[in-house]
Amino acid sequence: MDKSVLGDLDSVPEEEKKRMSTMVDQLQVRDSLRMYNSLVERCFTECVDTFHRKSLTKQEDTCVRRCAVKFLRFSMGVGMRFAELNQGAPTEDF
Amino acid sequence: MHMRCDKDGPRGRSLLFSRLDFGSWGAMAAGNNAPSALDKEQIFGMAEKEMEYRVELFNKLTHTCFNKCVDKKYKESELNMGENSCIDRCVSKYWHVTNLIGQLLGSGRPPM
Repeated sequence: MDKSVLGDLDSVPEEEKKRMSTMVDQLQVRDSLRMYNSLVERCFTECVDTFHRKSLTKQEDTCVRRCAVKFLRFSMGVGMRFAELNQGAPTEDF
Repeated sequence: MHMRCDKDGPRGRSLLFSRLDFGSWGAMAAGNNAPSALDKEQIFGMAEKEMEYRVELFNKLTHTCFNKCVDKKYKESELNMGENSCIDRCVSKYWHVTNLIGQLLGSGRPPM
């Protein structure tokens, strides 16, 4: 998501614009960090099941990489559809 | 969002301060124009986000490892030796996963 979510900012004074821009930036940072944490939790839970040693096995390493990349691709796909729907794209089945 | 996650990851250097522009603090130290109220607001805001991230990381780590390491029958309240070793190993593995994913996010992914 970018700053177009804020709508028309032309009439807003410069100082206020900067503050809103900073706010959106910080919300994006917060969202990214939450996504990071959730992704780590998800992939760890689904890929790591044994605790014989402190380091990851080769399988666990591969599993985590695939899990993370797959989730990121999935998230991008969802993002595209979300953007379309936000702009009023039709939702019928064709 | 493009994050830089160093090898130190969650243990070492801060996630966000490595990518923030500290030019204004530097200018202040050098006696030039002080950082504006807006700059300060931004820096404190980022510090707050960083703190929230660390707290959430700790809580998720704790809950995840508890679920992995402790048998839900709760036969006793003490932690046995197996559970104690499991804490060490689980935390270590969770750290590895955090760094691994941090690197994936920090390098390949395009900014939002």
